[in-house]
Amino acid sequence: MSEELKEVLLRKLEGLEQMPSIPVVLGPLLRYFEQPLESLDVQAVVDLISQDKSLAAQCLHMANSPLFGRWQTVDSVRNAVVALGMQRMRDIALSCSLLKLSPDGHDGLDPTVFWEHSMGCALVSRRFARRIGFADHGKAYLAGLLHDLGIIVNLWILPQEFGKAVELARSQQVPLHEAELQTMGLTHCDSGRRLAERWGLTPELVEVVGGHHEVEKANSNRALLAVVSLSDLLCRMNALGHGFVEARQVDFREQPGFAVLLKECPTLETFDWARFTFELEGYLDEVHRVVSLLYRPK
Amino acid sequence: MTASAPSSAFPLGGSAPSPHLVHIRDLVYQVAGIFQPDNKLRLLEDRCAKRMEVLGVKTLQEYYECLTVKPIRQAELVSLLNEITIGETCFFRNQPQLDGLRNIVLPKILEARANLPLKHLRIWSAGCSTGEEPYTLGMMLLEETAGRLNGWTFEILATDLNERSLVHAKHGAYGAYSTRNLTAYHRQKYFVERNQELHVTPEVKAKVNFSRLNLFDDARMAFMKGIDVIMCCNVLIYFDGVSKRRVIQHFYNNLLPHGYLFLGHSESLYGISEDFRLVHLPSATAYVKTDKRQVNRQERP
Repeated sequence: MSEELKEVLLRKLEGLEQMPSIPVVLGPLLRYFEQPLESLDVQAVVDLISQDKSLAAQCLHMANSPLFGRWQTVDSVRNAVVALGMQRMRDIALSCSLLKLSPDGHDGLDPTVFWEHSMGCALVSRRFARRIGFADHGKAYLAGLLHDLGIIVNLWILPQEFGKAVELARSQQVPLHEAELQTMGLTHCDSGRRLAERWGLTPELVEVVGGHHEVEKANSNRALLAVVSLSDLLCRMNALGHGFVEARQVDFREQPGFAVLLKECPTLETFDWARFTFELEGYLDEVHRVVSLLYRPK
Repeated sequence: MTASAPSSAFPLGGSAPSPHLVHIRDLVYQVAGIFQPDNKLRLLEDRCAKRMEVLGVKTLQEYYECLTVKPIRQAELVSLLNEITIGETCFFRNQPQLDGLRNIVLPKILEARANLPLKHLRIWSAGCSTGEEPYTLGMMLLEETAGRLNGWTFEILATDLNERSLVHAKHGAYGAYSTRNLTAYHRQKYFVERNQELHVTPEVKAKVNFSRLNLFDDARMAFMKGIDVIMCCNVLIYFDGVSKRRVIQHFYNNLLPHGYLFLGHSESLYGISEDFRLVHLPSATAYVKTDKRQVNRQERP
């Protein structure tokens, strides 16, 4: 990989007008949900979701999935908000509106696989954060959902170069960000950070999108970053990654995120990684099913 | 979290799982170390139903009491574990585990042994039952003889307590059920069909040494030395905590410094031993022998 190529790619990324624009409903939803949960108004949430009929329908699909703990069918957005609570409804609405993004350039990575990984990482991050008593566990879902935003940018703006990176990762069975560095000199973290900033995401989300492969280098929000980073890795090691096997052995206690998170969550010291992994296996199929219901490629 | 903490569960579709079923799942994990993920809860319910029919018990709540407070609880747990692991014995039972062993663990072991003069690999199938596991390992390693194991020899030690299982294993003839996962390639290369059974070829048989062994026989266990990998699937689940620790301590001593221990699918050593560290392989887990000297050095102020 030459420095010249890296420079060319960086300039392409700076051409912001090419960047995918934020899905129509996602912006207002994100802004509304930035308020504390207890000050949110049920009717306002229902109105926001219902202004887009297809979004409302998708939210109901998702609200009826066991992934969100619902056992009796909910048939309206209002009932879903009441039955599942504001936090879960927020997670559902944000997921559904984000899944409206359909990346161009399908050569490198199947978008369905991408969304399955993003959904999986969101769910695992939420569970993991709760289990270890992470104080900000409410933020974990969205952070997990958005962490790989840079992959959309790469599919969109650098399809050929990114396609080569995916091919290398697939053939060498190495993590995608390592292959990206080799072929492009930059990773989906670099491109994702630019998009996250452009979309006006909160600084902590920008940090997650831009820093989840270098937790140890982050200056702020390191614990949230670590939650997502470890959940991302767990997904990638358990058939919920980028569509290929990473042939390696991982000890979670040796990951940079582990040491970072341990300071904030001492229960991590005795965390049962084996059981948590077996649990993940139990909802793989449901993640595939929900994404296939929600995501309609162009 | 601790193994006893309550867990949310969402088996797929339909109604919510009975809380008693979730309690039984958690109890089985806590006591036996084998976990039934949410997508298998319905299967667990069926297995409980079978046992409930035998016992004449009507509800899962009553059955949970049979497993926890009734005098029969220990025997009943063993019966339930038998139901859970029934049909688990077959060739190529856990493909991700085998792939991890072959593609990730094997190269690591060969690298660790690169400077040792003896190029001989020893793999132990502890609790080999009717032989499907050790023969699978034999076939897998035979496939590597021209590749990673070029210049190496290997042997598979296969032990079990049950004499009848061992007779079956040595005979090496199998029906349709235990050979259901075989690819056409393996079937053709490593089996001969006779009397509607598949017989393991002498080439594979020559790689496996069967013997009767009780994992609690301290004297015999001390003889099992220089092992690179131990496979011990669905065996420890039947032991209580003290017995598990005793066997694990033996395994620790049996393994070479770089040694690996593989357990059955969804089986865990959580809370049992600090002598091994959990590692993740693609869609599989394994335990690596820790270097106690290193741990002690780290703990020193």
